Order: sequence, then C-alpha cells, then structure tokens
Amino acid sequence: MRISIAWLSAYVPLPPPAELARRLTDVGLEVEAVERVGASLDGVVAARILSSERHPNAEKLAVCQVEAGAGTVQVVCGATNWKVGDVVPLATPGTRMPAGHRIDRASLRGVDSHGMLCSAKELGLDDDASGLLLLPADAVPGTPLAQVLGIEDVVLEVNVTPNRPDALSHLGIAREVAAATGAEVSYPEAGLRQEAPAASTALRVTVEAPDRCFRYAARVIEGVRIGPSPAWLARRLEACGVRAISNVVDATNFVLLERGQPLHAFDLDKVAGAEIVVRMARAGEKMTTLDGVVRTLSPDDLVIADRERASALAGVMGGGDSEISAGTSRVLLESAWFEPTGVRRTARRHGLHTEASHRFERGVDPEGVVAALDRCAAMIATLSGGTVRRGAVDAHPHRRKPVEVTLPWTRPGEILGMPVSRKEARAALQSLGFELTSTGPRNGTFRVPSWRLDVTREEDLIEEIVRLRGYDAIPETLPVIVSDTPAPSLEAVVTERVRQALEGAGFSEAVNFSFVAPGDLTPLGAGSGAGIPLKNPISADLAVMRGSLVPSLLKVLAYNRRQRVEEVRIYEIASTYHPRAADATDDTPAREELRLAGVASGRRHPVGWSAGGDPLDFHDVKGALEPLLETLGIEGVRWVPGGASWLHPRSAATLSWPGGGAEPVVLGVVGEVHPRVAAAFDLPRGVFAFDLSFAALAAAARPVRGHADVPRFPAVLRDLAVVVANEVEARAVLEGVRAEPLVEEVTLFDVYRGAPIPEGRKNLAMAIRYRAGDRTLTDSEADAAHARIVARLQADLGADLRG
Amino acid sequence: MDLVRDLEALAEGARQSIAQAPDDRTLEELRVRYLGKKGEISAVLRGMGQLAAEERPRVGEVANRVRDEVDALLVRARQRIEDSRLEKELQGARIDVTLPGRRLLPRGHRHPVTRTTEEIVAIFSRLGYEVASGPEIELDWYNFEALNIPADHPARDMQDTFYVDESALGRVGGEGAVLLRTHTSPIQIRAMKRAGAPPVRVVAPGRVYRSDYDQTHTPMFHQVEGICVGPGITFADLKGTLAAFARAFFGAGTRTRVRPSYFPFVEPGAEVDVSCSICGGVGNRSGARCGTCKGTGWLEVLGSGMVHPKVLENVGFDPSAVTGFAFGMGVERMAMLKYGIGDLRLFYENDLRFLEQF
Repeated sequence: MRISIAWLSAYVPLPPPAELARRLTDVGLEVEAVERVGASLDGVVAARILSSERHPNAEKLAVCQVEAGAGTVQVVCGATNWKVGDVVPLATPGTRMPAGHRIDRASLRGVDSHGMLCSAKELGLDDDASGLLLLPADAVPGTPLAQVLGIEDVVLEVNVTPNRPDALSHLGIAREVAAATGAEVSYPEAGLRQEAPAASTALRVTVEAPDRCFRYAARVIEGVRIGPSPAWLARRLEACGVRAISNVVDATNFVLLERGQPLHAFDLDKVAGAEIVVRMARAGEKMTTLDGVVRTLSPDDLVIADRERASALAGVMGGGDSEISAGTSRVLLESAWFEPTGVRRTARRHGLHTEASHRFERGVDPEGVVAALDRCAAMIATLSGGTVRRGAVDAHPHRRKPVEVTLPWTRPGEILGMPVSRKEARAALQSLGFELTSTGPRNGTFRVPSWRLDVTREEDLIEEIVRLRGYDAIPETLPVIVSDTPAPSLEAVVTERVRQALEGAGFSEAVNFSFVAPGDLTPLGAGSGAGIPLKNPISADLAVMRGSLVPSLLKVLAYNRRQRVEEVRIYEIASTYHPRAADATDDTPAREELRLAGVASGRRHPVGWSAGGDPLDFHDVKGALEPLLETLGIEGVRWVPGGASWLHPRSAATLSWPGGGAEPVVLGVVGEVHPRVAAAFDLPRGVFAFDLSFAALAAAARPVRGHADVPRFPAVLRDLAVVVANEVEARAVLEGVRAEPLVEEVTLFDVYRGAPIPEGRKNLAMAIRYRAGDRTLTDSEADAAHARIVARLQADLGADLRG
Repeated sequence: MDLVRDLEALAEGARQSIAQAPDDRTLEELRVRYLGKKGEISAVLRGMGQLAAEERPRVGEVANRVRDEVDALLVRARQRIEDSRLEKELQGARIDVTLPGRRLLPRGHRHPVTRTTEEIVAIFSRLGYEVASGPEIELDWYNFEALNIPADHPARDMQDTFYVDESALGRVGGEGAVLLRTHTSPIQIRAMKRAGAPPVRVVAPGRVYRSDYDQTHTPMFHQVEGICVGPGITFADLKGTLAAFARAFFGAGTRTRVRPSYFPFVEPGAEVDVSCSICGGVGNRSGARCGTCKGTGWLEVLGSGMVHPKVLENVGFDPSAVTGFAFGMGVERMAMLKYGIGDLRLFYENDLRFLEQF
C-alpha cells in the first residue's frame, strides 16, 4: 500500500519520514521503500526574470538576468511567452532533466548561460511545450519547483500483511501512528449537506443474499456535472498509484484510500427500474465488467443487479452498462459490507484482483460503511456541483455484535517471558482503540474496535500489547525443557556415510528440481515410474513430479558436457514420487521413495603427468559402490547380471542382498546407460549410472558391527592361475576358492585373454592367503588345501591349472 | 708352523683387499674367496688332517680367529659402502617437489544447499532438537488448514500453490486437495501429532514448492522449520534461541532484531533480522552502500512466532497448558548470505564448476 506523507499529515502529526518508516516497521507495518515524489525536479528552482535584452548574435534568443535565490544569474532563453517580472522554472547547472540529459553552464552563440528556463513539457509535468511554465507571481525565487507546485511529497510503500485490512488506508495508518507516538487522530468531517426529496423515493434496495452481503447502503446525488478532478485530488491519487479519471470516480477512490472502504458509483439513469437487487448470479448469466470482458457468472458469484440484469460483480468490479460517463447527471453511490470469503472466491474465479476485492476479502470496517458513504457523497456534491438527496437507503440484514475478549492479567507475561503490568497492557490496548468494558483483579475484558476483525482471542491482545511496546523490550532466554538427547537416526547415519563414500569416489552432489518434463521419463521405460503430474505446472518442462532421479542426472551430465566439463561424476539423494499402494493406511497422499542415484562419464583417473586417461567403465562405478556397501556394513551383496531396461543389457547388474527373509532384497541397479537412452539425452556412449533404493540400503545397513580378533598365527601364501571359459563368472571362481575353509582371503590380481590362452577362454590369476585361527599352518596342510581348490575348480568349472 | 703362517698371510691379504673393495659385488666375491665352503680358510682347515693331534687346537684357534676377523671386516666394509652410497644419494639429484601430486580420483563435493542445511540442523541438534521429515506431496489439511490457513483465506495468497493431479494418485475422494507443500510447516503438525504429547522439539529440513519463477524465486527451494513446544515456553525463549542460532551460523558478533509480522500459524508473529553478514551491519562497505542489505545493515532471514493456539488445538494439545514457538528459514537464502552467492539459479544448474567450489 502506497501511503502519501503529505496526505497522512492531514490526520496525525508525523515524525520525519525516516523515523516514521522505522516506527511503522516496529509496530508490524513494514515499510519496504521510502520514495520522494518530485525528485525528478531536483535542481529546478523558481526564478524571477529581472531584465532581458536581445542576444547579440541570434535574433530569436534573449539574454535574461534572473534572480534565483543565490543572486542574479544570466540565462539565454528562446521562448517568448514571458515578460520581465515573471517567475519561471530555472534548471540550474547540474540538473538532470527528465529526458535524461544534464544541464551545464554553456556558451550559447558566445553568451554564457547558467542553466535553462523550462517549459512544462521539458520538466515532464505535462505536454505543454508552447513556452515557459509561468509560476505564481508570489513564488519566492530560489524555492525548489516541487515545493512551489505543491507536489513535494514522500510516499511510503507499506507491506500490509493479510491480517491487517484496517491498515489499508491513510486513516488506518494514521491510527497506528497515533498509537505508536501518543498523538491524536483528527478525523475529517464529512461535511454532508442533504436536500429533499429523500433518496428512498428515487431508489429501492433489496438484499436477497444476506449471507453474502451484511449491509448495503446507498445515496443519490443529482445534478452532477462530470469533469476532471482538481489538481490536489489528482495528485493525492497519483501519489498512491491510482490514475485520476473523473471527479465522481476519483472521489470514490479518494475515500477508498482515505478510509479503506471500497465504494462504487453507478449512473442511476442506467439502473433499470431504479432498483438495486443484491443477489446470487444465475447459472450461465453474463455480464460485461468495466475492463470490457464479458463474463459468464457462477451461482456462487454475488452480483449487484437492477431489475433486469447484473450490473456489478459485488465487491470486485463494476459493470460497463451502469458505468459513470461524461453525460451522467444522477449518481447512485454504493457503500457495502460483503462477506470476505465469497468476494475472494469470485475474484479468483474470474482472475480479478482489484483495490476493492483486496480489501473486501480481508474485511473492511463494518461500522465504517455509512461514514464512508457520507464522506464520499459530500465530496461528489462539492466536486461536481450536485446535490445529495436526503437520507441513505440502508439495507442492513446482518447486524454485528461487538467482539469482547477477556485477558487474564498474568497471561502477557507468561507468553512473552517478561513482566507486563496491568497498566501497561491497558494503556497499549486503549491507545489502539480497545475499550476496557470490565475489569477485575484477575482479568480485564476489552471491546475490540470494529475495524480490527483479526482480533478474537487473548493471544491477539497480547500481540497488540507487545508490538506496541516493541519486541526489543523482550529479553533473550533459552527454553528449559527436560527431554532425552535424541540419538542420530539411522537415516542420518546412513546418509552421511553414503555421502562420504561417494565423495571419496569422486562423486559430487547435484540438487535437481523434483519436477521434470513428462518426456524426460519416457526413455527410461515404464518400469521406472511415470511420476505424478501436477494440475497447474509452472511450465511444461516442470510438469511431473519425477518417478526416477536418473533423467535429471542425465540432463545435468549433458549440461556439463555442453560447458566442456567432461569428467562428470554426480549423485543425488532425493525422493521419487509414485501413486500410493492401494492398501496404504497412512495419511500421506502419495508414495515417496527416497533414492540414491548417480551418473558418471569421462576418464577413469584425472589426466596428470604420470597417468593416462582411459575412459571409466562399469567396474569403476562398481568400485565406488563397494566401499559404500562396506561402510554401511551391508554384506553378501550379489551382483547379478542384467539391470533395467534403460541400461545396456550386457553391461549392467542388479544388486541383490540376501537379507534375512525368504526373498533377496533388490538394492538397485548399476550399469552402462543403454545407448538409445543415452542418445535420447544427447549423450555419447560410455555413460554409467546407478539407481539404488535408499530405504533398502538403510534397512540392510549395520552401521555398528562387531570385530574379529587380529590373527595370532602366521599365514601361508600361494598364487593360483586357472584358465576357464569366458562365460564363467569371476564370482564362481572366487566362491570356489573361498569354499575351502583354510582360505582367509583371495585376491584376483589379473584377468588375461589372448595367446597363449586358447580362444574363448581366460586366465584368472589369484593370490590366496591360507591361515588357521588356532595354530601355525604347515606347508603340507596348505598344499593339500590348494590341491583341493584346484580339484574343485576343475570339476565344477572346467578350469585348467596354468603353469 | 706353516699352516699358522699361511693363515696369518691369508688374513693380511684379506684385510687389504676388503679395505679396497669398491662395491658390494667385490665384497661378495671376497666373502666367497675367504669364507666360502671352497674358500681359502676352509682349504687351510682341510689341511689340518695332516697335523699332529696336539697342534690341531692351536691351528684351529688361529683359523677361527682369522675367520671371525674376516667376517667382521666384511660387515664393516658393507656398512662403509652402504654409507658412502647413501651419502652420494643424499647429495644427489633432487626430485621436483613442484610437480602436481598424483590423484587417482577427483574429490567429490557436497551441494551448498545440503551443506547449509547440515550446518543449520547441526546447530539445532546441539540445542537438543530432533530431526523430523514429512511428505512433499501433502494434504491441504496439513499444509494449510491445520496451520490456521482456512480455504478462501487471503493468507493463501502468500504462497502460490502447486496442486497435484489426483487422478494419478488413485485415491478415494473426500480427503481434501493434494498439493506440493508450500513450506516445511506441515512437518510441525505431523511431528506434534506423532509425539502425541509435549514436549516436542524438532527441526525439519526439506524441499518446498511455490509457483514462482524469476530472478529471485525458483519453483522449488529448501526450508528448515523448527518448533519447540512445552510448558512455559515464552517469546523470550524464541528470541534467545534464534539469537543463539544466528551467532552460531553467521559468527559470534552477529546481532538480531525481532519485529512484528504475520504468519497465520503463529501469534504473536515475528520477523527476525540479523546484522548484515557482508558489511557487518554498518550498511556500507568502504564507503559504498552495501548491496546485500541495501544499506540497512539488516537482513531478513527468519519468520517465527509463538505457535497459534488453534494450531495447538488442531494437534490435540491444550493451549492453556502448553505454549511454544516455531520458526522457519530459507536454505538458499542462508547459503547465499553465508557463501556470498549472488545468483539463485546457480543452485539448480548443477554446473560442476560451481559445485566443486564447496
């Protein structure tokens, strides 16, 4: 809300603007900006022309001596509409003109000129460029032009929160200033002069929807001549960002900004049957609003109708049919109280947000309806030469009982944590217009002022007290609560370990929007979750809550590659969104599954002076995930060939954890992104990804484990090289080795294909460590174990022993 | 005694040749020559068979002495050679310590939003707060109604809401609208309901969504919510807690300012400002107006207030017996202030050149 200080000062004494802004902010009316009106005229002063003579070198120019406060200066001037003795605007050297250029001391055809005498157009005041702007003869030379013109003002941009409709007006702000400074508000007199005959003989008002319209008051003003508003009125409105239109409309806007009561003026001669019916719209009923839009109404829309048709959307916008026009002579002036939620529904339904709806949906002062009507009627009469018919037509189906709230005197102190005396509480509330209706040793009961619809219970009173006293007065303490020290949750422990493991493996974290384009999920195939669509997405690219983290990560990868960042390892931990299971019993509307996904492409190792740059592959990603599983204490995970439809069928695995149940638990998948999926994201081959269930990882995790004793007896080391068919999995060979009880550890240190190994076979070289826990193993025991392993591998896997 | 003389001569020869031996290989040859199984001492000893029995002990004694001496000489000589070699190396060519270190993997980096969330949560954890979470696709009741924001209330304008296409959820009707949570405040409600009874002290980070996308807004962002409910909790406790938080997060000298504001789920409500972390609260930096706080010296960082009695009633708590405070803050804003990040879009571009700075 824009508040003009010049206007506000008519109602209450004001401190300087900066101080005022601080005081208002302190009571909860945050001043977001302080703007000087007329700042564009800085440097322009009134100047009296003392004498003039022809320019020696230019026929059309005059050389003037002008008095401009700080002495006499010489100015060259080309205009002719003035005479010696006139007072005109002088832009002094250094002035930045509205058109953007700067006035400097200059020499015009050999004669010095100390500034420029200006037309109204040059000053951006209006379009008159015919000559100098002539100022009142009594203007004192040297006075800033803004002051001479009376447009000097400061406007405060006040952020009025939705609970404070009472502060959406100059009088409302004046009340707050008065409460904060201890001053008194001087309310303007309506000055209404009424003349017979009575308004009721010219107009009938019927409220058919009393639940939506608590009061409808109207006056009739006749003999109105529509014309422009006087300058002072236009200036007031313009300072508040409202365009001046005509005297009648401007008067309604003035009273709106003065008192916060929206008013509407109809051309009474266009109101069919001189009858106002406040009723619900009929289904399918149409009307044209002032903005020229033909609207189809809903039966939930309240309308102001005449005998024939709807002529205004109540509390939101007037209609074109009954609009005030140049020829209007009889005005029907409306001031009403419409039920807030209904106004809000109508405004939203029709996509409208007006000064009126903004106030009605927050709640205007129910007791201010008629005062605003009278004030405005009087203004219209004065401005337009009309006369106000005697009496208001006042339909008041819903009378409001004053609200009273009882405050236990000790309660403010209990809530605020500092002593608040009864006297302080009472003084604060009374300065805000609360009336103490009864008081006792324990409680006081206050009548809430009619404009404070937000105050209904004792906490609201406490807020009033503390915001007036200032939050600074409250001490700083720490709460005393007896409770357990919470242990970190399993989820927190798992998250931290996962992050550390991935960071150690070179993965950085991405945070992506949860919504993606529907098409982003399609390349992954149906199995990955179609996501949950939004009803009102902000754009087609952000329309579906993602069912998988992978597309977002592939897009990040593509984005970074476009930036020429080719070494990319990234991960994300976030929820994916799915329809909830049919048998779900909790009260969450969707199933949200926390997942951990990552993508990688580029070189295996950073390029350096001593290492090359082979591209990373499946086993690099596996090498990142293995320590992750280890740090979580997840043991026995099987890497089963084959992952998901979006992964390369021959270069992917499913992580399967035996767990304790009948079925193994799938932790997730990892592999090369399917070449066609990669292509869909503008990515080359060689992109690897994993997608794991965070919940499954957390369920499998044993972050705190026991330990085994350090071995006390020496080990025997033996190497073993076997040749097996290419299809034989390394896992089978290693499991065959580990089946021997004396094997403590086996390390696969080479896999070799090629001569002299026969085509279709591969050589696996392993280092085996044998150890017994209870004795020193002899060579012959180790040899026997080694022989058993060889025999098993030969028998089970068709392995040949190699040299 | 020829053998004794032979042995003495042998010893003298060994002394000279070992002393002159230039390297390990020569020493090894000398060891084989003198001490080997087929070496010279062994040869002498083999000749002992021809000696008279009474001479054998003396010759044997000399032979052992010579063998021990040669052995000792060899050990010393090896040490000498090793020492001189080490000395040479220690005086030799330097490595280039300026060559970059060998790195097998890059270092992974945590996203600044995560980092900042963790810093905030850690501070409240130290104050005894438990971490809570809740769904992002939320029921209208938790996001609005329970927080004293009824339907058709203008306060709903404060948060432009995304609604979910319910047909995709396969849910039965009549449970109210489904939306993307606009703030982390519904977690307050869930945490209090879950706890069942006071005291409740939780901090709840998470993603939130509002339909707003421009220079200073993204349709998804992060908040951290906190709530502390129990008997006798006061506004002074709120001020003390948030002042302690601000000092822990922004630095020991940070000042806080609390001013009245409005959030429907608190009463009284307050906006908390902290002294500008960039200019130190003076409003200008080396004479120029501070752009971060726009010259005011203060930064708006937290919304807060005393939990509204209606909210307590909505979760089944008795507002005459317990009170509490709640607060919320935007993680991106805190990260921008703490790390001096100027452009909100950087958080969601996920450009590694940005992420790798954290």
